[in-house]
Amino acid sequence: MAEGYVEYRGLKKSFGATPILHGIDLKIDEGAFVVLVGPSGCGKSTLLRMTAGLEGVTEGQIRIAGNVVNRVHASKRGIAMVFQSYALYPHMSVNENLAFSLKMRKAPLERITDAIKGAAGILQLSPLLERLPAQLSGGQRQRVAMGRALVREPAVFLFDEPLSNLDAKLRVEMRAEIKALHQRLATTTIYVTHDQIEAMTMADTVVVMHDGRIEQVGEPLAIYDRPENLFVADFLGSPAMNLLDGKVVATDFADQPRAVEVTDGVLLPIPSEAEAEVGQSVVYGIRPEHVQLVAPDAGEPVTMTLVEPAGWETHLHADLKGISLRILSVERVGAKPGDKAAILIDPERVHLFDRATGRRL
Amino acid sequence: MATLTSPSGAARREVSAIGRPPSLLDHLLRRFGRAILIGIPLAFLVIWTMVPIIWALLASLKDPLEIYESTTFLPRDPSLRAYWAVLGMDGFPRWMFNSILVTVVATIVPLILSILAAYAFAKYLFPFRHVLLLMYLIPRIIPRVSLIVPLNDLMTDLGLINTYWVLYLTYIASAVPLATWILVGFFKAVPKEIEESATIDGANMWNRLRYVILPIAWPGVVTAAVLCIREGWNEFAFVLALVTETGMRTLPYALYMMRDAMGVQDFAIYNAFTILTVLPLLLVYLLLERRVVESIVSGAVK
Repeated sequence: MAEGYVEYRGLKKSFGATPILHGIDLKIDEGAFVVLVGPSGCGKSTLLRMTAGLEGVTEGQIRIAGNVVNRVHASKRGIAMVFQSYALYPHMSVNENLAFSLKMRKAPLERITDAIKGAAGILQLSPLLERLPAQLSGGQRQRVAMGRALVREPAVFLFDEPLSNLDAKLRVEMRAEIKALHQRLATTTIYVTHDQIEAMTMADTVVVMHDGRIEQVGEPLAIYDRPENLFVADFLGSPAMNLLDGKVVATDFADQPRAVEVTDGVLLPIPSEAEAEVGQSVVYGIRPEHVQLVAPDAGEPVTMTLVEPAGWETHLHADLKGISLRILSVERVGAKPGDKAAILIDPERVHLFDRATGRRL
Repeated sequence: MATLTSPSGAARREVSAIGRPPSLLDHLLRRFGRAILIGIPLAFLVIWTMVPIIWALLASLKDPLEIYESTTFLPRDPSLRAYWAVLGMDGFPRWMFNSILVTVVATIVPLILSILAAYAFAKYLFPFRHVLLLMYLIPRIIPRVSLIVPLNDLMTDLGLINTYWVLYLTYIASAVPLATWILVGFFKAVPKEIEESATIDGANMWNRLRYVILPIAWPGVVTAAVLCIREGWNEFAFVLALVTETGMRTLPYALYMMRDAMGVQDFAIYNAFTILTVLPLLLVYLLLERRVVESIVSGAVK
């Protein structure tokens, strides 16, 4: 099997008696942009900090460029890290911040000057070089933090929730900048976030983590379209996927021999290839944007309970015989709470999970 | 557009805050309340601390007999006679030198030791660090006077009585806990990520301390230095107990001895001596005041 550029083999981490990572196996290709995403406490930051050499390894291996780096000092791993809090040196100017790592390495002055010039050019920091971090805006500080990583010409970039401290607009801008930077430099990047939008928009590969384990690895849209388990289905997507408890039943329809009964008398269609047996308890998943809203008599009747127009899309909440359903419409829906409507579901868009194991069926 | 029927924002807030329209008293309290609350205690404090110094300064400029007359506040015929007398004393240059030497040593050495100790306490997880840090306080919790007899015995056994070493050792031992406790707080306030960032940037422990931690925590270092200087300069109990030779005295000790030495009390000389003793410390304070205030304020806000 081919080696990854960054590779984790059976990686475990405990703080005292508390296990944080339960055995991570993952290969990251050279030049890839991998996003580790998961709720807080899932171990994603710990994994990144272990990669950086800021946390020790309890068990297993971390390999970078083919070498086991478990016992290699953080400064010798060929990595550069951008922290959530930027971690700029507050008493040094932008120039000195950028130069620090090279000075510590005793790089020749010429090389330092060139590296700063290069990084400042890429990140538009040239007019700010003499300023102190306190004199910079949040976005500028973020760019300095990236510049500091850049001058080291690392083999791997590590980002620990770098956009969390920025306001929404700046976050979108910086997201694009980081992605553009990666496209330009093609340096292997591991990026930690709890924000699924960041994960979806930036990654070549998304790694969904939960409780110290990897739940699923794959391309963003592949994971979105085909979540392997209930956790991933629930975690990715905003508004979240509708997950309805139900039971597989046999029907009289020739084209739909099986369906899921989610409440008394409400049968919802399932994909024909789903490996579900009649009588099996399942969780029926359908994304809000895949619930089609139709005229009151053209489908399963629902009553609108809440309408949230967001401008570019409309979030609706509907009552399906006692079950609350989220619906997302890209069109402007004139519905009001209490209005009657009906829904249609394309069976090919349905995700079916075993209720006991949470696995996809 | 504001409507005529709605009160202005400020007025609305006032009404809702106190439940009735503001009276003249409220207005005055709001206007002058701050000045009263802060100004009066501050003025009292300034007078409380300044009066003895001003009195000593004025007395030092008076004629010896004039001081006994309670009718004059300002010197009738100000003269520097007393200062020349003090500066002309046989031992004075030596005492001044002793004070400066001991204070410099009792500032620099404790600072170096405390910076290292505080860095370890603040940034490294090692067993018993909380207990150790508490034990650091013991020398400062035990009353100094109760240490004098055992210290005198010990130093006599070691043959250090009447040497600079006895002062260095006791002063340093007394200053280290103080400086360490101050610095631990400042070092802890340096965010962990900044140090981690420096680690990744290739800075070893010394370089992190030198280039990152110390510059960021510099106001704390200055604060600790000022307190060490004050401790060393004003120390009295140890020098009284452990030094007997005239030539080994420091200024506070010499000042104390002067009272007994002068047959006729010349209060002008006595006060001039006091002023000359306090003056260097005042200069240090004035030079470092901004840094200290900065550090106290930053500590309070963070």
